[in-house]
Amino acid sequence: MIRLFTNLWEKFKEYIILILLILISLILLTQNQSAGVKKVRTIAFGTFASVTSVFNDIFNTSSIRKENENLRRTNAELMLQISKLREYGIVAEDLKEMLALRDTSILPLIPASIVSKSLSVAQGTVTVNAGSADGVKPGMPLINHSGLVGIIQSTSENYSISRTLQNVDLKVTVKCERTGEHAVMRWNGESLVMINIPKTYQIQKGDRIVTSEISSIIPVPIPVGIAADFGKVETGIFNEITVVPFVDFFRVEHVFILGILKSKQIDDLELNFFNK
Amino acid sequence: MRLQFIIAILIFFPVLLLQTTIIPLISIGTIAPNIIIILLVIYTVKIGQIFGTVLGFVFGFLFDLITGSILGSAMIAKTIAGFSAGYFSSETKQNIYLKPVNFASIVFLSALIYSIIYSLFSALDFTTNVLKLLFEHALLPALFTAVISLFLIFFYPSRKLF
Repeated sequence: MIRLFTNLWEKFKEYIILILLILISLILLTQNQSAGVKKVRTIAFGTFASVTSVFNDIFNTSSIRKENENLRRTNAELMLQISKLREYGIVAEDLKEMLALRDTSILPLIPASIVSKSLSVAQGTVTVNAGSADGVKPGMPLINHSGLVGIIQSTSENYSISRTLQNVDLKVTVKCERTGEHAVMRWNGESLVMINIPKTYQIQKGDRIVTSEISSIIPVPIPVGIAADFGKVETGIFNEITVVPFVDFFRVEHVFILGILKSKQIDDLELNFFNK
Repeated sequence: MRLQFIIAILIFFPVLLLQTTIIPLISIGTIAPNIIIILLVIYTVKIGQIFGTVLGFVFGFLFDLITGSILGSAMIAKTIAGFSAGYFSSETKQNIYLKPVNFASIVFLSALIYSIIYSLFSALDFTTNVLKLLFEHALLPALFTAVISLFLIFFYPSRKLF
């Protein structure tokens, strides 16, 4: 018996090792959401990000950094205010009073720089140099002056990993700014698409798409992109709308983390998409 | 062997640093070369298939942990990529396999296998055009990686160019 196993091992050891390692990988695939894996991951990326940030700093001249940061902060604040103003312009004033909407134009912004990017086709992530010590928490939106970049996935003390919109695991509830019609937007590996759009919806090419206030992740309207192409028009009862994002994910370097989280009570009641 | 394994893992970290900071600067849209695969292929061709398979597994594990991608996806892809490159490891033919064009071809094959498997395990939506996806997200990055490997192999010590 031992000789048989020895012979098998000698003949097929490459394949046995391969199968064994694939099996371990498959087991780990099912353990992605376990607390232990999350803890190890937080330590790993936190440690690596501290090295990456030093390396990344070589490409940034320190003299203009502060000035740029101030300008970017102003830009991001203006973007949010413009977005809010557009929202106000569409909704009638009396309805706003009835709904007793509060002015939330002053939103807490945590400045950060991207220290590393994973240019994966399906799992776009970025590491930023702001962490739990700066008040960053999982679920907070990552924005720049153009619009929504992603959602914070996990944090260490000084660094955070964010899923970008180019991540198949991130689904965001968005709406058409003009018509107010809501839909779920996701990355399909090729482009951002709003899925399951009823054909009765009035969304048109060129409409601005912003995050929806009914989103379980982002409770304020943040610009996302422009409605571009309509798919599945001929068949079925639903359309798909391709969205061209405002943010250039390959060039984005400096970002802000919007220091808000939707109410925990609401969060517990609603379906939470970010924690897939 | 054990020392070589530790050295390979130590080299992995600066390579990952380059992959996540410099490589995005030279990428063309979503098409980016994968220099970790190049490192994996060099070690596999030099040392052997089992070494390459295990090294691919460890590289994938570290990559998944550090970059925040689904744990296990790059592990499987890099393990199989290392195993595939292992078919081109032979002590007697090592100099032939390390010639630039041959080496670039092995890198291309491994990178292609890696990209396809990684895409599959990254839960891509295949309701879109599969052929187009494979072309843009597997074939082109593999080709880009192979071209970069051509340049890198020129700096690799103790190999014959022709």
